Amino acid sequence: MAKMSVKKENHKLDIAPSRQERVTVGQIILAIILIAFTLFAFLPVELTFVAAFTDEKSIVQNGFKFWPKDWSLAGMGTVLRYGQQLARSYTVTIFVTVAGTFLGLLFMSMYAYSISRKDFWLSKFLSIYLLIPMLFNGGTLSGYIIFTSYYHLKDSLWLLILPLCVTTMNVIILRTYIANSIPAELMEAAKIDGAGEYYTFFRITLPLMKPSLAAVGFMMATTYWNDWQNALLYIDSDAKKPLQLLLINIQKSIEFLLNNSNVPASARAAMGGTIPQYSATMATVLVVIGPIMVVYPFFQKYFIKGLTVGSVKG
Amino acid sequence: MKAFLHNTWKHRAHVVMALPVFLILFFIMYVPMAGLVMAFKNFNYADGIWKSPWNGIENFKFLLASKATFIQITRNTVLYYLLFTIVGTFLNVTLAIMIDKLVFKKLAKTMQTLMIIPVFISYAAVQFIVYAFISSDTGIINHTFGSSTKFYSAVNLWPIILLVVKIWKDTGYGSVLYMSVLAGIDSELYEAADIDGANSWQKITNITIPSLIPMITVMLLLSVGSVMHSDTGLFYQVTRNSGILYETTQVIDSYVLNAIFKNSNFGFVAATSFFQSIVGLLLMLFANTTVRKIAPENALF
Repeated sequence: MAKMSVKKENHKLDIAPSRQERVTVGQIILAIILIAFTLFAFLPVELTFVAAFTDEKSIVQNGFKFWPKDWSLAGMGTVLRYGQQLARSYTVTIFVTVAGTFLGLLFMSMYAYSISRKDFWLSKFLSIYLLIPMLFNGGTLSGYIIFTSYYHLKDSLWLLILPLCVTTMNVIILRTYIANSIPAELMEAAKIDGAGEYYTFFRITLPLMKPSLAAVGFMMATTYWNDWQNALLYIDSDAKKPLQLLLINIQKSIEFLLNNSNVPASARAAMGGTIPQYSATMATVLVVIGPIMVVYPFFQKYFIKGLTVGSVKG
Repeated sequence: MKAFLHNTWKHRAHVVMALPVFLILFFIMYVPMAGLVMAFKNFNYADGIWKSPWNGIENFKFLLASKATFIQITRNTVLYYLLFTIVGTFLNVTLAIMIDKLVFKKLAKTMQTLMIIPVFISYAAVQFIVYAFISSDTGIINHTFGSSTKFYSAVNLWPIILLVVKIWKDTGYGSVLYMSVLAGIDSELYEAADIDGANSWQKITNITIPSLIPMITVMLLLSVGSVMHSDTGLFYQVTRNSGILYETTQVIDSYVLNAIFKNSNFGFVAATSFFQSIVGLLLMLFANTTVRKIAPENALF
């Protein structure tokens, strides 16, 4: 019997497929646990999509549902009736995101390039200068007072752009990429051929940095898109209100419309008498997070790479 | 001096290219650092930060006198850090190993894509999603279990709610880093273990986990530097900044934000910020020194 089993084992070893291909009970259990976790992560997102199109009465009576009985476009309709403010907020958010990401990438890669030049005598000083803000910072209050009463930038879009434009970690990621993935010979050769520093950087280094730029750029763009704190602190006027601030205020706006008798009758009539507040809120959430959901799959591989690069210092 | 000018001129292109970031860091990061002197001043808007009269350590005395608030927000900040870091690291690592071990690779990839999504949703939006689950009259939880818990006034439930939200938002993303380490393990190690007759569990404890230890150590140490800082949105937005819940939900960062909006108590806040920055600096230096000793290539400086 013992002999038999040994023989069987050996036999198994000979034809055993590599560990990647063996499907066992353990694997099935593993798959089930992972699917459960995926549902935990994704169902709330699904709920947002569904709730935005759920009939308001159904939410009030039965609560939010992952799959409702009654569907409705009323929530989305309400959001679109904000029309003008929504369009304005979209414009502000898109402008801040694009301008901030573009400027940040440009400035940070120039800085990363400069400090990675070994013969540049200031590079040591500039590296330390870059590092200090990561160790020590003045805090929100001090920043708030300096930006508003000394720079007089209250209600200025600059305060949505500049504070998130440069981060030490991102410069380190870009510098590491230049040091590890771009052959120094290439840049030296360009120099020998008589190319100036600007030409070398813009024509040779920058194009080769694309993967790291995509990774850092995507992370920056989501940070800009999702930033609510600077908006809440600094932005007052409706014309400069980004999407996140619109979202924070949405509850108040809806309550205002519901309770305030000063709202013109025509506006109320346009709402059909009632405002579907739950579905309208979720529809707004959807409108705010939607673009990232759409763009994210295309950038997934880059940002995973970027995350990995960032963890290993060159 | 001549050498200085000469070098600068020679490298003028580098100087020019470094200038924008230099200036942004200066005005956005460095100047507010100087603003921390507020902690030793009796601040008023009319005189501004620099001209407000000095008052020595009055603000800090005030800080210690108003024990309840200061201790409460510091305690919450530190305890949430510990809770999130311990549970978070455990789950990140477990999830990474599970995904790595799964033989259905296509399925694993799809699941990973879906799991990462929450990290890209801002807390301003998350609060409405959380509301859909725990609102007392329309929430999924109360409807499913037929209960009528008033979550938004249940102080003691919030550590659990915030933990679940944090796990939901960050775990998928947090596991990516560990997965990249796992992908780098030499498959010959596993093959050798197969030949020696090791079962899956033995392979995990003897090969997989030991190869993750360096990365886990480094990540933990580097996170030590941010003990005093929290995910402000989690505590400010998800709790709807509700005063009833402050006892278990208010952290230093959200307290500072509230003080700015209420335009009050700047002395107290300045002293708190100063404390926060100094402790952060010391912890960061400690963490980096330790990382340098055990894994020099991962040290920040």
